[in-house]
Formats: sequence, structure tokens, C-alpha cells
Amino acid sequence: MARKQQSILDELKDIQLASELIKYGARLQLLELEVGLSRDRLIKLYREVRDESPTKGMLPFSIDWFLTWQPNIHSTLFYVIYQKLRTHTELTGIEANIKAYKLYLEHMPIDPGEEPVLSLTRSWILLRFINRHMLGVTDCQQCGGEFIVLPYAKLKFVCGLCHPPSRAGKKVPTKKMKTIELILD
Amino acid sequence: MRNTDQFLADIRDLNLNYLILAQGMIRSDMDMAIYRLNISKDLATTLNNLSAPQMLKLASTHSLIASLRFEDPAIIDILTHDKKTKSTSNAHSSILLANQVIRDIC
Repeated sequence: MARKQQSILDELKDIQLASELIKYGARLQLLELEVGLSRDRLIKLYREVRDESPTKGMLPFSIDWFLTWQPNIHSTLFYVIYQKLRTHTELTGIEANIKAYKLYLEHMPIDPGEEPVLSLTRSWILLRFINRHMLGVTDCQQCGGEFIVLPYAKLKFVCGLCHPPSRAGKKVPTKKMKTIELILD
Repeated sequence: MRNTDQFLADIRDLNLNYLILAQGMIRSDMDMAIYRLNISKDLATTLNNLSAPQMLKLASTHSLIASLRFEDPAIIDILTHDKKTKSTSNAHSSILLANQVIRDIC
């Protein structure tokens, strides 16, 4: 199917949106669905913005990931910000997604060279899962906060922050692991 | 020890600082400011339109114009009495604060 002839201004808007998404690490599949530019142009833009070819392969399509301890906290934080923006501003769709993601990154700053726990693509997938009722939210019985859970989660839910698992947060950071491996070698 | 006059002067300072900060955030990005300040769009628009003399007038009261967002002492207990790392406890406060409803005054 031929694409509808775009006005130059619309195209400019799309390019701005796409380059911002690419800057924050969006995968090509996301760009194709959210931006009205052809695949070829998106790939070209991707190379210009990131100086590398887009990552190939499937998207990280896993519901379980959002339920593990640390990712759950990060995705919950992103989602509560997103909800606030959706309720009180006129932002919708991908614009609300990216703005909520920026605010999420402010709350969870990363060291240079490290990747954020929740990627922009994952935040986008999360919203799709919630829209399709594959994931939902429920209140923690202790702190009252809303957390991401399976739609049929038990009623007496206590969040991972009120009751962290015993090993939570004790993971050796990848950087340290690499140094240890180097020393062992 | 600080006397009452000092407290009142500090309250006025804090009020004015709050208004200046709020207006700065609203002018830089209205949507993000609505989230950060936890206020409605109408209120954000009104704050945005305040002139400097109007802000001074609003700040020059003997009461604080911005109040603590944590209303439940139990929540403060949860957030301060745990052995979580800084980043997870930051996340916890942010999640709880973002969950608060923005009160619309009709």
C-alpha cells in the first residue's frame, strides 16, 4: 500500500519525534508503529543519530520481566508517572510515553556507560500489555502505592518495597563482575 | 534560637522561592511541571500568568502556601525506617507521591 503523501511540516514533526525516540534507545519496531516515516528513512535516521545500525531481532516480549523485583519497581515508577500525565495533561500516545520516560530517568539516574533498568522500548511494551489487560495494577496493603501485577493477582498484595526479598539489591553490578572476571583470568 | 520574626521572614522567603521555582518549571515544560508540582492544569496556567508583584503579594503572608505532600504519618514511617538503598527508597517515595490525587477545586 502506498503511503499517503505527507506534508513537509508533518514529516518534520515525525523526524523530530523519531530522532528523539532513537536518542532514548527506541527499537526499530516501535518506530515503525509510532512514526509515519518509511522503514528505509527510519533506518537511515537511526544510523545518523546513533552512528550504528538498528538492533535486529525480536522485542523483549516477556510479561514475567515486569514482575521480577527490580524491574517491577522501575516499571511501576514509570507507569505512575505516565498515569499522572495522562490524567492531568493533554499528552497522549507516544508523546505521553516519552515524557513519562524522561521523568522516570530523572528519578533513576544512571552512571555513564550503564543502561537504565527500564528501556524506552520496554516502557512502551508495558503500556501495550496494560492496555490489553495482560498486566494490571493493584494497591499495596502496607504503603497504599499502586504496583504493576498480573491481572488476577491476589487481593492481599504487599509490594516489593515494603517486603523486599532477602537477596534484593545485592546483585553484583555487571561492571564489577567484569573486573572480577578479568582478575580471575 | 530563632525568634518569631525570623520564622515569618523565612516563611515569606520559602513562599516566594516556591512560586519562582513553580513558574520556572511551568515555563520550561508545562506537562512535566504538572507532574512535578502535583497541580492541575488550570492552577499551572494561573501560576504561569502571575506577574512579579503578584507573586510577591501572594508570598507575603504569614502562612506557608505550600504544604507537606505526605499526609499519613505511617507512610513517613515506612519511607524512613527501612534498610533500603537510596535509589529504591527514592523510587518508593516517588511512586507513593505520584499516586496522590490532584485535588481540583471547583
